[in-house]
Formats: sequence, C-alpha cells, structure tokens
Amino acid sequence: MKPSTLLRLALAGSRTDGLRVALTAVSAALGTLAILSALTVIAIPELGERIDNHRYSNALLDEPGLRGGTTLTLLLLTMPILALAGQCARLGAPARDRRLAGFRLAGATPGQATLIVVAETGLAALIGAGAGTAGYFAAHSLLDRPRADGLLPFPTDVLPSPPAIVVTVVAIPLVAALAAALLVRRVVIGPLGVFRRSRRTRPPLPWPGALILLGLVATSSVLPIFRAYEARQSVPPDFLVVTVGIGGPLCAILGVILGTGWISHASGRLLHRWGHRPSVLLAARRLTTDPWQGGRTFAALLACVIVGAGAACERGYFQIMRDLEIASMEADTGRFVFSGDNFYLATMNLVDLAIGVALVIAAGGLLVAIGEGIVSRRRAYAALVASGVPRGVLARSILWQTLVPVVPSVVLALFVGSRLASTAMGDTVENYGRSAPYVLPLGTVATYGLLAVAAVVAAVGVGLLFLRGSTAVEELRTG
Amino acid sequence: MTILRARGVVKSYGPTPALRGVSIDIAEGEIVAVTGPSGCGKSTLLHCLAGILRPDAGEVTYGEHRLDTWSERMRARLRRTEFGVLFQFGQLVPELTAAENVALPLLLAGTGRREARTAAVQWLDRLGVAELADTRPGEMSGGQQQRCATARALVTEPRVLFADEPTGALDSRTSEQLLGQLVRVVRDQRTTVVLVTHDATVAGYADREVSLRDGALDPSGLGLTAVQGRHGR
Repeated sequence: MKPSTLLRLALAGSRTDGLRVALTAVSAALGTLAILSALTVIAIPELGERIDNHRYSNALLDEPGLRGGTTLTLLLLTMPILALAGQCARLGAPARDRRLAGFRLAGATPGQATLIVVAETGLAALIGAGAGTAGYFAAHSLLDRPRADGLLPFPTDVLPSPPAIVVTVVAIPLVAALAAALLVRRVVIGPLGVFRRSRRTRPPLPWPGALILLGLVATSSVLPIFRAYEARQSVPPDFLVVTVGIGGPLCAILGVILGTGWISHASGRLLHRWGHRPSVLLAARRLTTDPWQGGRTFAALLACVIVGAGAACERGYFQIMRDLEIASMEADTGRFVFSGDNFYLATMNLVDLAIGVALVIAAGGLLVAIGEGIVSRRRAYAALVASGVPRGVLARSILWQTLVPVVPSVVLALFVGSRLASTAMGDTVENYGRSAPYVLPLGTVATYGLLAVAAVVAAVGVGLLFLRGSTAVEELRTG
Repeated sequence: MTILRARGVVKSYGPTPALRGVSIDIAEGEIVAVTGPSGCGKSTLLHCLAGILRPDAGEVTYGEHRLDTWSERMRARLRRTEFGVLFQFGQLVPELTAAENVALPLLLAGTGRREARTAAVQWLDRLGVAELADTRPGEMSGGQQQRCATARALVTEPRVLFADEPTGALDSRTSEQLLGQLVRVVRDQRTTVVLVTHDATVAGYADREVSLRDGALDPSGLGLTAVQGRHGR
C-alpha cells in the first residue's frame, strides 16, 4: 500500500472518526505542552545546592530544592492526559470497525487494516504534538514579561535543548501509535466485521486489597526506617527509600484502580439481588458483565482523588505548622505578629490547582467513555425506546451504572490517599520548638471526594445528551 | 373491526419523501404484510402506524385514538402497553439474560420480578427456547436471539405486533420455523400483525399483502404473493 493511500484511508471516515482524530490530537497537544514545560524547568541552570537563581518570582522555579517537585508535578499531569487519549481511542469504535471490515472486504490484509488504525492515531498525535510545540513557543514568547523588580513569572529565559524538543515531538506520536497497535492486538479484523478475542469471564477477586495493604504498610514503614537508621547514626540506602517511599504509594494506587473491578462486580451483584426497577437491573447486569470497565474509565479520576486526599493531609500538616509558628511569635512578642511567610500553604494552592486541572481532564475522559458506551449500544437502546421504554429509564440505568462503583471507589481512594500521607507524617507536628497533635483534615479530604463525584455526575449529565440522538429510529433501519 | 387506520400519511426525511399519502385499514386479528422494493417506505409506514414516528401530514388512528396528535410520552406508553415491536436485529440488551430481556417490558409495567420472570420463561417455552432463559444474547444463534426478541414483543400480550423484517438476518429454514411459531402464537392470541418484508415466503404467511412503490400504494396491486401464493395458515 502506497503511503498516500494509507494516509487517505487513515483519515477517511465519518464525523465521529473526525472527532476521535481531533480529540487524539488535542490530547497529544496537551501532553506535549506538559512535557515541554517540565523540560523547561529542568533547563533552568543549577547554580549550586541550596543557591537560589533570583530570576523568578515563584520559589517553585527559583529554589533548586523545589524544582524537582515542580518537574514531577508537570510530568504527572501527563497521566490524566494519557488516560483521556486512551478513552478517545475508543470513541466511535463501532463505525471504525465497520469501516475496517469494509477495507478487508475490499482486499486489505489484516496487517494493512492494523496499519490503518496505527496510522490514524500516529498522524493525529503528530498533528497534536506539532500544535502543542507551536503553542509552547507562542506561550513562551507571550509570557516573557518581567515584573517591575526584574523577576520573571515563568522560566521564559530558558528553552529545553533542541534534541529534547525533537525527541518529545517524535516520541509522542510513536508512543500513541504503539498504544493503538497494542489496543488492536486482541481484535480480529475480518471482512465480515471486527471481533474481540474472548476476554476473561471469571469474576474479579478482591486481591487488589492485598496490594493496597502492602502499599500502606510499606509507606507507613518510611518513618520507622529513618528513625532506626538515625539511632545508628546512619542513613538508609537509596534503594530502600525508593522502594518503600515511592513503590509503596504506587502499589496502593494500583490496588485502588484494580480494585474497581471487584467493587463494580460486587455492587452489580448486590444491585441485581436487591434492585427491582428495570433501570437498576440494566445497570446491575452491565456492572457484572464488564466489571473492568470501571477500572478503565475511572483510573485517572481515582488517581487524582488519591493524590488530592494526600495533598489535603499535607495542607493540614502545613496549617498546623503555621499555627505553631504564629503561636510561637505571639508568645515571644506578647502580641499577634502577622508573617507573610506562608510559603508552604501557597505551594499547596498550586498543587490543588494542578490536581483540579487533572480532575477536569479525567472528567473529560469519563465523558468520552460514557458517550462511547451509549453510542456502541445505540441499536439495543433504539429498539427499547421503539418498544416504549422511556428514555428516562435508560438514563437512570447509565447513572446507576456509573455512580454505584464510583462512590465506594472514591471513598476507598480517599481513605488510601489520606492514610498514605498521614502515616508518612507521624502523629505529632513540630515547629518553632512547639508541638501539636496531627489532626486529619477530614473536611478538606471529603471535599476532594465530593468534587470527584460531582465531576462524574456532570460527565454523566453531559454524556446523556448523546442518548436522544443514539435512540433515534434511524438506528433501526434495515437499509 | 378496523383496529389501525392510516389516511393520506405523508413523511419525508429532509428533502427526501418516504411516504406520499398512504391510506390503509387493518382489521383486528389480521396479519398484513407490507411489501415492496428497498427504499419504498415500508419501514417508515410501520414506524408511523406504531407511533414511533409522527407523520408530517395525514392521520393515524388506533381504535378511536388519533396517534398523530399524541405526544411522544403518550405514544411510548401505548407502545409499551398495547403494541409489540420486533426488528431485524440488535434489539436484545446484550448484558441481560434471555429471561431478563423478555421480562423487561413487564418490569416496566410494574410487575414484580418473580412474576415477570415466570411469565418470561413461559413465553420462551412457547417459542421453543426455554432452555436459554439464563443465556445472554451473545451466546445464542441469530434464530435463538430472534425467538427471544419475539417473546419479548409478545410478553405483554399486545393487541398489535409490528415486525420489521423479523427474519431478514436468518437462513430460510430458521426463518420458516420462527414464522410458523409466530403465526401460531398470534392466531391463539388474536393479535393483529403488521409485517414488513421484501421476502415472498415471509409475505406468504400473511392474510393480506399491501405493496408499496416509491412511497405510495402500488396501483397494480400485484404483490410478492401474487407470484408465489400463500402458505402457513
């Protein structure tokens, strides 16, 4: 097949295919922006350990000790973006499947059909990466406005190295194309249609609970390990710190995401047993038939909730530190002294902003998943509506099916996130020679949960707009 | 007694006319086949008669009720309680078992779950697929799925059954088996049937054939069964 033919076939398709290509490109553009921003922070010259650059108004960029965290946060932002891209790849899948079957019927080999899928994703990601790079340079130029004191709000005086930029622009489409190839590995594209190879039918087991437990135990051992080494006047080896300090939280996060499968299945069974309404029955059966759908859909959202709960605990810790500082100053001077130095709390505002952005992106992915789920079942839904089933019943079933696994999963994510953070902080907060017991900020933690559930409800609400169009009688026309 | 009546029904999809003033009377207990070439407006006529679509002009009357003046909510309620609808494919909910699919209209009408399941299994039995009660559509053949869909369309004991190419996706043997069972059941129930088909064999199971051409009744009056004759009574 000539490259021009491949290009034509990869980009031929309906409006839904166009939307998928556009969303894939947008995801790639956002990912490119996040990675180039992280590379820019890395490009800030190191003047030496603990030596500030005195070039930027924001300490997160100016202090060498904080730049690592800033870079990591920017890179972590790519996670929900990747999740969004993954959801976008499933958008309009039935129409694409029919198109691919048509190519096979016209004589394309299975390899060529796969190549068309890979080319579509790769090209869309390449366009997105190009647009993201252009956007980065435009923003770099537009934001280069020093303040009156000569400090820059953003590191617009440095650029990542050209090879790093080129690698980013090339790697993003390559990774996207590779992911597309992996996604179709379980798919058989035949002339008569596209079939998924049989998936596991065994109900999920609660083994992710063991992962969560392991992660929490590992994280809670960080402080005792440091204390034990301190008692021997030495420091723990790096591998041990990395294993328990990073591996532990990752293990727990993975456990929560994988645990959604078991939660979905168990809640589906409960609904099926106790529910009597048709909407509940429909939701229950969908939950038990594909319990892993929840894990795929909510992974990014749950990761945001875990990190958010951890951040809320961290904020609570810094707030107590601040209170101790103020109390100390009051005791020293006999009156309240206001100090403008609320650096840690201001930093937490930025962290909250980053989590908020991630939450919005995760909700976007959820919206795509809900829309895709409705569109892929449009024939069955249209037949039900034609038989007199009110659309409200279908809408309620989608709401049940989404919220029933989300609520316990979010509660679990809040618990795990707050435990991960609070075990690493200990029971007591010390500052300015004073100490106070650490109190979990339950209100702030719960706010993250409510925000996540609200994002889900909003995504379902918008997703239901697809329902009317997908239940039109035209879906039942026999041709 | 006439149960369904259409008078001068007109329906267009954008600039494309689908029906150009069709009039038809259907008597209670009658099986009527609507035939004609592809794109002649057969399915559109069925959808208008069933209240799925509202005609652009003309009247559709069910008993004493003018369906073309009713709201979508009222027509949906009528379809749920008085009509049964059967399509060519894709109508079973893939996640529900056969019994749950068949029980769904009863559950919507407020029947208890146990009673709904019992009725569903009885209907599956009448159509010869009782052993599939706990099987999901994905694990059934096309013919088995269509029997379950037929059971779902009939479980509320509707006065009128609308069937749009119900055997269009089946082989001839399975098709004849299904039609034989369907006709037997609807004759027992005295259910009126409006059957859209382009297949002469299928049309042969009807009491009467109405032929459409270019969105209007075929003036020649020669339908598919004029060539092949009738059977299946």
